Amino acid sequence: MDISALIDSLHPLEIKVLTTLGLRPSETALGSEQLAGAAELEASQLSMAVEWLLAKSLITVQTETVTPIVSLTKIGEEYHQTTSPIERVLEVAREATSTGKRLTIPDLQSQGGLDPSDVSKAVGRLKKEGVVLIIQGGCIETTGRPSPTAEALRTLLGDMHDSPKELKSFTEAHRQIIEDFAVKRGNAKEPFRVDERVARSFMLSPDGAGAAAQLLTQGVAEEVSQLTPDLLKDGSWRQTRLRKYTISLRPPRIGTGKKHPYREFLDTVKTKLVSMGFQEMRGALVETEFWDMDALFMPQFHPARDIHDVYFIKEPSHTTAVDEPFLSRVAKVHENGAETGSTGWGYSFDVHRAKRLVLRSQGTAVSARTLAASPQIPGKYFSIARCFRYDQVDATHATDFFQVEGIVLGEDINFRTLLGLLNLFAREVAQAKEVKFLPAYFPFTEPSVEMHVRHPRLGWMELGGAGLFRSEVTLPLGVTVPVIAWGLGLDRMAMVALGIHDIRELFTDNLELIRTTRGLF
Amino acid sequence: MPTITIFKDDLESLLTGGDGIDRGIPMAQLEEWLMLVKGELKGHNPETGELRIELQDSNRPDLWCCEGIARQIRIKQQGRLKPYAFFAKTPKSPHHLIVKPGMEQVRPYVAACTAKGYRVTEKGLAQLIQTQEKLADIFGRKRKTVSIGIYQLRNITFPVTYELVKPDEVRFTPLGMETAMTLSEILMVHPKGLEYGPILAVQSLLPILRDAKAQPLSFPPIINSREIGEVRVGDDELFVEVTGTDLRMVILSLNIFAANLADRGATIEPVEVRYPTSTVLGTRVTTPQDFGKPVTIQMKAIEQALGQELGEAMVKQALEAYGYDVSAEKGSVKAKLPPYRHDLMHTMDVVEDVAMSRGYAEFTPVMPAQFTVGGLSAIEQLSDRSRELMVGLGFQEIISNILGSPDQYCRAMRLEGTEWGRTVEVNNVMSLSFSCLRQWMLPSLLRIEAASSRAFYPHRLFEAGDVAIPDGTHELGSRTETMIGALIAHATTHFSEIHSCLDVLCYYLGKDYSLEPVQHPSFLEGRAGRILVSGKPVGVIGEVHPEVLERWQISMPVVAFDLNLSQLIGLG
Repeated sequence: MDISALIDSLHPLEIKVLTTLGLRPSETALGSEQLAGAAELEASQLSMAVEWLLAKSLITVQTETVTPIVSLTKIGEEYHQTTSPIERVLEVAREATSTGKRLTIPDLQSQGGLDPSDVSKAVGRLKKEGVVLIIQGGCIETTGRPSPTAEALRTLLGDMHDSPKELKSFTEAHRQIIEDFAVKRGNAKEPFRVDERVARSFMLSPDGAGAAAQLLTQGVAEEVSQLTPDLLKDGSWRQTRLRKYTISLRPPRIGTGKKHPYREFLDTVKTKLVSMGFQEMRGALVETEFWDMDALFMPQFHPARDIHDVYFIKEPSHTTAVDEPFLSRVAKVHENGAETGSTGWGYSFDVHRAKRLVLRSQGTAVSARTLAASPQIPGKYFSIARCFRYDQVDATHATDFFQVEGIVLGEDINFRTLLGLLNLFAREVAQAKEVKFLPAYFPFTEPSVEMHVRHPRLGWMELGGAGLFRSEVTLPLGVTVPVIAWGLGLDRMAMVALGIHDIRELFTDNLELIRTTRGLF
Repeated sequence: MPTITIFKDDLESLLTGGDGIDRGIPMAQLEEWLMLVKGELKGHNPETGELRIELQDSNRPDLWCCEGIARQIRIKQQGRLKPYAFFAKTPKSPHHLIVKPGMEQVRPYVAACTAKGYRVTEKGLAQLIQTQEKLADIFGRKRKTVSIGIYQLRNITFPVTYELVKPDEVRFTPLGMETAMTLSEILMVHPKGLEYGPILAVQSLLPILRDAKAQPLSFPPIINSREIGEVRVGDDELFVEVTGTDLRMVILSLNIFAANLADRGATIEPVEVRYPTSTVLGTRVTTPQDFGKPVTIQMKAIEQALGQELGEAMVKQALEAYGYDVSAEKGSVKAKLPPYRHDLMHTMDVVEDVAMSRGYAEFTPVMPAQFTVGGLSAIEQLSDRSRELMVGLGFQEIISNILGSPDQYCRAMRLEGTEWGRTVEVNNVMSLSFSCLRQWMLPSLLRIEAASSRAFYPHRLFEAGDVAIPDGTHELGSRTETMIGALIAHATTHFSEIHSCLDVLCYYLGKDYSLEPVQHPSFLEGRAGRILVSGKPVGVIGEVHPEVLERWQISMPVVAFDLNLSQLIGLG
């Protein structure tokens, strides 16, 4: 080992410890307290220096002794100030016996102001010592004998009130009492705590002895740990020795400003979509059934419109009006298809139902509103919309989640351009080269497709669903060109990428988890 | 939409028509075939051969059974559907089912047939029951519009009558009971009576099916008679009836059952139903019946939608291989659905069948070529800029549910009964924890703070997101607005620390703001301010009230602000 380089990197605290030991006859071991005293260090300074020197193998631990130390807990301090349950029970019981009153366990609780568990423990102990008797009817009487436990407790509480004591300084009997009344796992409500104090003694290692010898002969150079403005201003840094650091140590942890990993993922998707020419749409959290479902040609008897699938709003329960001509046109299309070339669903449309307010259950509601608001043609739109489903919350169902969805309008839209668009999503959003298209069913599209992709790291997964909007959807909203409706199911991809298995963790309240989760998308 | 359970060997024997059973179709092959029926394999037990399959298409009840899945695959393999004889010819002297007057008020329609020559096996019976349940439950809207009964034929004497009786006029032993009960007793006591009784709006007269000897067959749509209406393994002569409120749905359901039983080897004999007054299909309606009509579809419509020239012959071939009856004409095809389907609402429904029959893989994807400009909404841009600035200020972003509880959003914030304590509430509450929408951001931030006292300090948190603010003047009863909230928590934090952050945020957003003192119950009095931009209130800032912290069980001082970004747009 290069002793000079080593010496340069020593911290002043380390030097103090080394030289203190170096001044003693070789192979002398000093305990922590002696060492701190001789080196004129605070206990905390010494402990830092010792840890560093041990890490550098300049000192070694010569002995290590473990001493049990007893101290009072918060409860112990309380007992010292006032009284312990066993003393209180004895007091109440003695008074009852002297006045001849009947005293039951519940009486003890109410008169003593004690917890049932404290009372039963105290009575059990007193009974064992023969201090109390339980007579007929569950009544308690004192025998007049003194309680060794109560007396020992009082003495011990007083002994330890000022400062902790070594366990071995107590008599065998008292040690037993301490044992019985010490905090244990599962029973924190006790007056005593026994901690183990570890006492170590240290001596120089051969390298440490060499370094100490050199330090003692050459003396310690004047060292500065921090480069300061003053040193720079007057140029005195030239005459100053700046201590070298041990740079291999872990740095202290700092808090940082950072995006939420799931939002970060959604941001990358958003950026991708904008770069592919999509315009963002926004919508309201509260929506009418009309825009959430009717306009999407979901019949009013559709099972997914049940009270067990959608959240209804309490007040107001209905909107004042749905925009015309959309309401009457959509109503007719549901009833008989109107001029869309469809037969319709053949039932009588309930306008009041259409006005009912719900929590948006699907992002497609935002697309429906866009269709009705003279969209650009050709046009591409997307939204990342918060949606709500009436689901029992569990590892795979959230009541409140994001849907990424949108539309593409244009004269050149057909089944093959739909597949082309999905291919683009697969490549851009999931970096997937392999894609599978499966037939699917959505009430508002025909043909409908489900897309499965192979993510380069995450494997095969369902990426989304899409289709061509039915004429029953587009024509009543005033759109005459074909329209692709698409939705991406990104939660699973996000969960795999973030290494989580429970959908609730996307919105976790665990700050440590949020701070440490890294998304690799 | 329904998920059904079938057995692989049952499917395999149906695929090959019962003989020359090809066992051991590879699962990969099976999964590919399932694309033809929009089916997704949800589970497979290799030991029992049990398959769980989800059928996506809610308009194709014919596919919600083993027979229907096998049929669709078989047609594809054989190139066309082998026609069912019983749809084509009417029997000379069929059995009769007589509908008595008054049924139109209650449950007007009925369809029925007999099936002989198929001995019911254990797996076959399980399939019969499953199909009956799925059809009545999902297609029949929980028996409201369609319900189905299956009986042992040998105990029935024709003609059968469908009529109304007084609630205590007729007694029979229903399935699942030991003793005879009147119809009103069934409604009051039998589990099915309790479950489905409310379907019958008028309960002074109730529907019943009885045979010529006045033996009750069933009390539709509630329950069958135990004597006649319990089919067992080994039975080989069955009577099937469907009752309901829509004639076509009723007949379609029977058509599906008839085709299923025929596929299992039964000979189907139609029944003539005689109505007292005319229906859309006349007074005498023989069922099962193929009531579908062919539609003419322009080739142009098909080719435009699919983006590919196919030609009449190819379209004809594709549709036939999917079960249609097709004749090609110049520039168009005339196509008719098979009798067990009635889901053709629009030309596009046929187009999809062409694509599925050919297989989606047959279509080469083409990129949409038209140019469009992408972009973010103004509010998203403002939200993104604010988020960037908050990150620069050293804040950790968080993300929360919007649906929460009044306890979280109001009570714990000391806002009950104040102007700040109004929220959009849910009517059909499932759990109180998810019963109203957040009206501001601070509770979302405190939620994290309350759970994270062990995470090292300081805590600097922010969230940008949507809230719903009740507003009687808005057509939806509330406004959805985007807000940003920020919080600092550590032992020595104070008002000016969060104020500095707001100051920097507003400076870089180019918003000139001022603060005026406000008495807000969530904040300490004298240490809270309303944020004003151009004189308009756009948020609050302050030291969070210790009582609020206590209610959240937070034992660290917290300072915070809430800023409404939606209202900030267009202001100073």
